[in-house]
Amino acid sequence: MILETRDLSHDFDGLQVLARVNLSVRRGERHAVIGPNGAGKTTLFNVITGTYAPRSGRVFFKEEDVTGAPPHALVRLGMGRSFQITSTFPRLTAFQNVRMGILGRRGVRFSLLHMVDAMRDVTEEAEEVLRRINLTAERDLPARLLSYGKHRALEISLAMSTEPELVLLDEPTAGMSRDETRNAVDLIRRLTEGRTVIIVEHDMDVVFSLADRITVLHHGEILATGSPSEIKANQAVRDAYLGEVAD
Amino acid sequence: MDPTTAMYVAQGVHGLAYGMLLFLVASGLTMVFGMMGILNIAHASFFMLSAYFSYQVLAVFGSFWLALLVAPVVAAAFGVLCERLLLRRVHAFGHMGELILTVGISLVILEGVKVFWGTESLPIHVPTILEGRLALGGLDYPVYRLFVIGLALVVLGLLAALLYTTRLGTVVRAAVSDAGMVNALGVNVPLVFMLVFGTGTWLAGVAGVVIAPILTVYPGLADQMGMDAFVVVVTGGLGSLWGAFLVSIILGELNSYGVQFVSQLAPVLMFVFMAIVLAFRPMGLFGERE
Amino acid sequence: MTSTARRWIGGSVALAALLAYPYLFGIYFTNVFVTFGIFALYAVSFNLLLGFTGLLSFGHAMFFGAGGYGTALALTHFKSLPLLPALVIGVAAAVALALLLSPLMVRLSGTAFSMLHLAFAQLMYVLALKLRAITGGEDGIGGFPVPPFRIPGLVSVNMKDPSSFYYFAAAVLGLSVFVLWFVTKTPFGSVMVGVRDNPKRVAYLGFRVPHTKAVVYLLSAGFAGVAGSVYALFQNLISADALHVANSFTPVTMTMIGGVGSFFGPILGAAIFGLISELTSRYTERVDLVVGLILILVIMYAPLGFMGFVDAVRARARTRFAPRGATEPAR
Repeated sequence: MILETRDLSHDFDGLQVLARVNLSVRRGERHAVIGPNGAGKTTLFNVITGTYAPRSGRVFFKEEDVTGAPPHALVRLGMGRSFQITSTFPRLTAFQNVRMGILGRRGVRFSLLHMVDAMRDVTEEAEEVLRRINLTAERDLPARLLSYGKHRALEISLAMSTEPELVLLDEPTAGMSRDETRNAVDLIRRLTEGRTVIIVEHDMDVVFSLADRITVLHHGEILATGSPSEIKANQAVRDAYLGEVAD
Repeated sequence: MDPTTAMYVAQGVHGLAYGMLLFLVASGLTMVFGMMGILNIAHASFFMLSAYFSYQVLAVFGSFWLALLVAPVVAAAFGVLCERLLLRRVHAFGHMGELILTVGISLVILEGVKVFWGTESLPIHVPTILEGRLALGGLDYPVYRLFVIGLALVVLGLLAALLYTTRLGTVVRAAVSDAGMVNALGVNVPLVFMLVFGTGTWLAGVAGVVIAPILTVYPGLADQMGMDAFVVVVTGGLGSLWGAFLVSIILGELNSYGVQFVSQLAPVLMFVFMAIVLAFRPMGLFGERE
Repeated sequence: MTSTARRWIGGSVALAALLAYPYLFGIYFTNVFVTFGIFALYAVSFNLLLGFTGLLSFGHAMFFGAGGYGTALALTHFKSLPLLPALVIGVAAAVALALLLSPLMVRLSGTAFSMLHLAFAQLMYVLALKLRAITGGEDGIGGFPVPPFRIPGLVSVNMKDPSSFYYFAAAVLGLSVFVLWFVTKTPFGSVMVGVRDNPKRVAYLGFRVPHTKAVVYLLSAGFAGVAGSVYALFQNLISADALHVANSFTPVTMTMIGGVGSFFGPILGAAIFGLISELTSRYTERVDLVVGLILILVIMYAPLGFMGFVDAVRARARTRFAPRGATEPAR
């Protein structure tokens, strides 16, 4: 188990958002978390990735108790995260965005002795990443001017840039057209080769095409966990959620 | 009553009077912050502007009461003009742009008054009715100080009544708490902004007229009050009227007794108080975590 | 002619002009230039926080003042202190102050950061006024010995001579600006800008945001201290005025006029500001009124300042006249 939560609970001023969530994610699998809006999916992500500490319960990453550890520490341990609302550096170019990720991965933090533009290996690596995510043409374009699909691709790339063992993707295909979604899924598959992924998604096609296992969250509780076919067949899940979505 | 107690009580009254005036100024500042997210650095300069206007009205018409009526309104009008013509345009640039803009406005006002009225300190006389002292419970109080406290209480009472009993007041309180939400409910938020800004400036203007006979009208009038009001708002909680009220009174008394006992370092007391509060509650006494 | 060759020639001309300046323009303008240099560094150090890290400080004067008072006090109390150590002590004072404040300040941003700096600077100002015994109160500390610039055995330059002081100041201030420029070009500089644009993402890339802010804070304070120190040496006087809130607003104005988004903007702003002050003071004492008006106009109609205007013109020229294959790197 690369990630385990034990009786994870959280509330906001009395409003219960997560209730005794016991999530287990196996190393190397693609695990989808689905559920209606308000089910607590993003809060779950926030608590796992250290945005805030849970009210109660524990989070175990690679068998270590990391409950309440801050984001930068978790990233250094091997986690990565993409956000529902694109979180890149809007005024910087695509190249500069990617380079920031590479600097993060290399742990180049307080380097005050070299000029970053002269760091050829960093530049080459950034160009390579841009190639992989098909953003070479937009290299010098500020991120905020990228098309939505390309901007989301940059977002996912940033999440992956520290080469995390576990990456959490929060609705990566939100707001995308059919074609953009197909590209995004393809990109995710390519970039997360050999890594563990937890993905929150509403698009059931994406979920069923990507996921090895699915957890259904409802009102902050886990309704069911299992393989895609098990989940599709689960009556409680159909009643609560899938019934609303075309099969 | 023996002289020492009499002195303490007198200090207490002075402190209360200043505290009340401080609240008049700080209330507008904190409400504007609650609504618009900016601390209007020019707020205290409107306070001073009103004092200068009152001097002018007095010089031309000779009536303190007319000045009290007119000057704050004119100052508020200036304030509203600044909000409509200047601040609103810069809104898109973010809080920093607004902050810096208010710096510019305050510079213009601070120097502008020197152009029209010179750099000398202009005395204003307490109206004859309010001169002298009043004997209450074995003590003598300066009538004017009592008037200041009384007037402030009346104004604030009206404000509280407006805010807590009328529908408009409810809308304003909601807007101060969450402007975005109120906008989504279809309320004309720009209009409410203008109203809050204007009223806040008017309150500061009233304080300006009232404090003029005590401090005289001079270009540095805004300095002390400005810093004090800012400390009140930050310590009491950005957007909280009750916090501003409580801290204003505390600061007024701290100032008063501070000068008595610690004299040289009295101004530092205020910052020490702020630092202590912020160390335990960084959002202020009654502030909400952003 | 290649652009590199052009840059070298341009640089050489500028350097020659800089060296010949005192002899070309005389004492008065030499002193004007030194004042400009001091405030240019002061503004650049301020913009390290604002333009590059997104932190607006309304109290930068306290670091300027710490540098000035540190140097002045050192020279007053240590009779045979040489010049450079006196400078270093001033800088150390500014950095010490920043170290003291940084645990609180790096956890803040936005309005809270701005206003708390205003409060602390005001506190420093009040302390400087009230602690007469140490700081000389309103009159400040003056008349302390300004030691010659000495390289033992080689040269001893009298700092009382305006031209000599000019060269000393130009070297110190120029080197400081260069160091700060270099910092913005390092990987650390990239992270700074990242913190400005999206601190959350920066944390999620494994960087510690408060630590990064702390380093920037110390650098910014230290170099403001350099400016203050040179100021004290130049005037042979330091008073509470250096800590007054007006001196905190000065770099803000200079940066906004010159351009907050560029490294050289504040320098340009200091020059323009100096020019405006010079011209205005011939007609009226109300220089600040003009400054206030200009600040308002700049914020409303040219928020990116003069450099923003230049960039816009350049961008338009580039799209019209760009030769094929031109690769001007984005700033």
